[in-house]
Amino acid sequence: MTEAQTLPGPLAGLRILELADEKGQFCGKLMGDLGADVIKIEPPGGEETRRVGPFLDDIAHPERSLFFWYYNTSKRGITLNLETADGCQLFRRLAAAADVILETFPPGYLSSLELGYEKLREQNPGLIMCALTPFGQTGPWRDYITSDLLHMAAGGQMASCGYDEVDAPNAPPIAPGGGNAWHMGCHYAYIAIMAALVYRTVTGRGQYIDASIHEACALTTEAAIPNYIYRHEVVRRQTGRHHAPGSTPRTQFRSKDGRYVTALVAGRLNPRYIKDLAELLDSYGMAGDLKDPKYQDPKVIEANRDHIIEELVGNFIASLPAEEVYHAAQARGFTWGAVRAPEALLDDAHLHDRSFWKQVEHPELGRGFVYPGEAAIYNGSPWRISRRAPLIGEHNQDIFCGELGLSVHELAMLAESRVI
Amino acid sequence: MQEHDAMSLPRALDGIRVVDFSWVRAGPWATRWLGALGAEIIKIEWPENERGRLPSSTTPQDVEVNLNTSGNFNDTNVNKRSLSLNVRTPKGLEIVKRLIAISDIVIENFSSRVLRNWGLGYEELCKLKPDIVYVSMSGYGHTGRHHHYTTFGPVAQAVSGLTFISGLPDKPPAGWGWSYMDDTGGMYGAMCALTGLYHRNMTGQGQHIDQAQMIASVPLTGPALLDFTVNGRASRRDGFPPGNRAHWPGTPLVNNYRGPTVAPHNAYRTHPGDYNDWCVLVCHSDEEWQRLVQVMGQPAWATTPKFATLAGRLQHQEEMDEGIEAWSMTLDKYELTERCQAAGVRALPVQSSEDRVEHDPQLRHRQMYREMEHPALGVRKLQNAPFKLSETPAVNHLPSPLIGQHTREIVEGLLGCSHAELLAGYADGTFWPTTRARYAYMEEMLR
Repeated sequence: MTEAQTLPGPLAGLRILELADEKGQFCGKLMGDLGADVIKIEPPGGEETRRVGPFLDDIAHPERSLFFWYYNTSKRGITLNLETADGCQLFRRLAAAADVILETFPPGYLSSLELGYEKLREQNPGLIMCALTPFGQTGPWRDYITSDLLHMAAGGQMASCGYDEVDAPNAPPIAPGGGNAWHMGCHYAYIAIMAALVYRTVTGRGQYIDASIHEACALTTEAAIPNYIYRHEVVRRQTGRHHAPGSTPRTQFRSKDGRYVTALVAGRLNPRYIKDLAELLDSYGMAGDLKDPKYQDPKVIEANRDHIIEELVGNFIASLPAEEVYHAAQARGFTWGAVRAPEALLDDAHLHDRSFWKQVEHPELGRGFVYPGEAAIYNGSPWRISRRAPLIGEHNQDIFCGELGLSVHELAMLAESRVI
Repeated sequence: MQEHDAMSLPRALDGIRVVDFSWVRAGPWATRWLGALGAEIIKIEWPENERGRLPSSTTPQDVEVNLNTSGNFNDTNVNKRSLSLNVRTPKGLEIVKRLIAISDIVIENFSSRVLRNWGLGYEELCKLKPDIVYVSMSGYGHTGRHHHYTTFGPVAQAVSGLTFISGLPDKPPAGWGWSYMDDTGGMYGAMCALTGLYHRNMTGQGQHIDQAQMIASVPLTGPALLDFTVNGRASRRDGFPPGNRAHWPGTPLVNNYRGPTVAPHNAYRTHPGDYNDWCVLVCHSDEEWQRLVQVMGQPAWATTPKFATLAGRLQHQEEMDEGIEAWSMTLDKYELTERCQAAGVRALPVQSSEDRVEHDPQLRHRQMYREMEHPALGVRKLQNAPFKLSETPAVNHLPSPLIGQHTREIVEGLLGCSHAELLAGYADGTFWPTTRARYAYMEEMLR
């Protein structure tokens, strides 16, 4: 282990209270893996997200949700019923010592329990509170109920994703999978919280953050909005490549092993690119007529665009496995890539060089599992998974007895009365 | 909050200065947010190898295409100032070093060795500013055997598994219709910069943060990866990805990583059936399904017992979806949304860019798109932050810079050079290529 790996993470010393379901749990993970002490507060019996699969060995159980495991690493977990007087009281005590509260309840819910920001800041003026909700705290849609798919529809993702008619006739707009509406919301919430924390290091002042998942999604379609604002053009869906106002040449080609390669060729076809492309194809004896000097004339290139893309590039990729095309092309400076399934990344040598995959111990199971690692390497304050996701109420005693000074008898009484 | 109120409040990053070498999209999207939060962003550009301002497919039809008229550039580069500078000359490098010495953050999204080859690797940056926060945003990171590989958003998405998880079963991947990882890579750039800045303020220590576009994509498929590393189940399987559904009929009944495995969970055509006339509907429980049946007016097909349970709805999805679409086709997507939501049913419209800007009542209420005047593009709407900070609002406050627009104020005002030195720098090609025509605002600067 190098010296840097033993250093604390960049957010060491921060206490975060997380009251979050699927909408905000990734934000808590981002902060916990970077060293913050994230206390996840679940209702007695556990958060609903524990009921979402897949499950360990496909056995549905709140301690076996891989969805919950993944998004709750590096957190400690306590249970608390905020709808009881004792629960409110305990929460106020925790909030008095917290740096950040992250919550995803419907707008107005915490205020209805006298736990809104204005109340909590009275005892903690440096407190930062981020409400991450589907639509924010105001507006005609603020009480609408949603899901990942709904956000991808209203946010504009679906209007940009789908198929050329030739690939899938009458296909619907497609919402990419993986729960990315929540990721988009959490990335922006993280930015807002960090900005508030930086401001607090200078001024000591906390603040309230009203973050909207719908707005985060609506921001995440690259040039679709500028295309409309500046040219009044509405983009159309194209298989595996950028949306555009009109039809564009394909960039996704089937490989010999039945997979696909993303090869961005159109739009780059100039004489120098053709020369490099001819060398790449020729190294497999597939250059066809591309070495002909006539292709050093841009007009000839343009006139033969379909021949170059559909026949020469298409046939080249069709003759090789996707991974081989990927590495052969990148080695020659082509920005091409194999379309891989997520699990193929476990075999990626480059990720292994960067020690990307992490072994995370689950001591109650006597087993450890491989988890994905960091988006970025911090050379002075490393990212790390400090522990697997908490079991239900795993840290009740640490927090309520160890920090708030309750006796184990009081803790037992709170459990009996379903406060924790 | 009204705009003039927001303008008078402090900003979270007041007093923070960023030397921004970034180009194209992901890096500029990162510094856009640091700028919105109040940091002073100095965008270092050179017209001879500019990538981001040209070519432009977003210049208005009635405006001349040049380095200052890209709409997408304008939206991506608000809240910044521009210094045109040839960093590849000793004099230009010296100027940039003086800037770094009085800055807090250096950020770039070149491939892995570019800054080091300029003599501006992390060790050199530390000599100029010991507590510098250096964020590099390359395709594959600065270490590892493929550090020299290059990406655009679509390639990062393909290689990392993100493209694969989007589409219909037995079809090619539909992927992402834009550079999702330019947007998201930009977010990570900003996240890294803010995290490094917070750490510096707390400890006095700077650091190098080596962010990588392809690698940042991988943690976004976490549950699919754990299904493989824990259960041994690959996502390359029958019925995956399941389009907009949570489960594809006739394939093994397993979770597909978008939340609970429920039905209905799909997109449906709406009246009048044009290209973007679609809505999505999801029922998370039998109760929500019964509410939808009520909203649909209790058609006979929907009240048959086979649809009353989740198992039945999953088994008979095709028939159920046909029935729902026969009803949804009779309504406009916004009317359908209002009716469903009023009854407690999860429904929203598929919205195009035009829908979001013109028709979405929520985005209008939240002032998502506010107008600002740009010197070459006129008054245009810009996208604003999706969060409201009560003490330090992140409302856009500067239009994107014209290329080299702020060279004089940075060189003379910030670095304290004389006007004669500025003139000399234009004469010797440090601040603008001597062979290239100058814009009128540059002539103004040189008076």
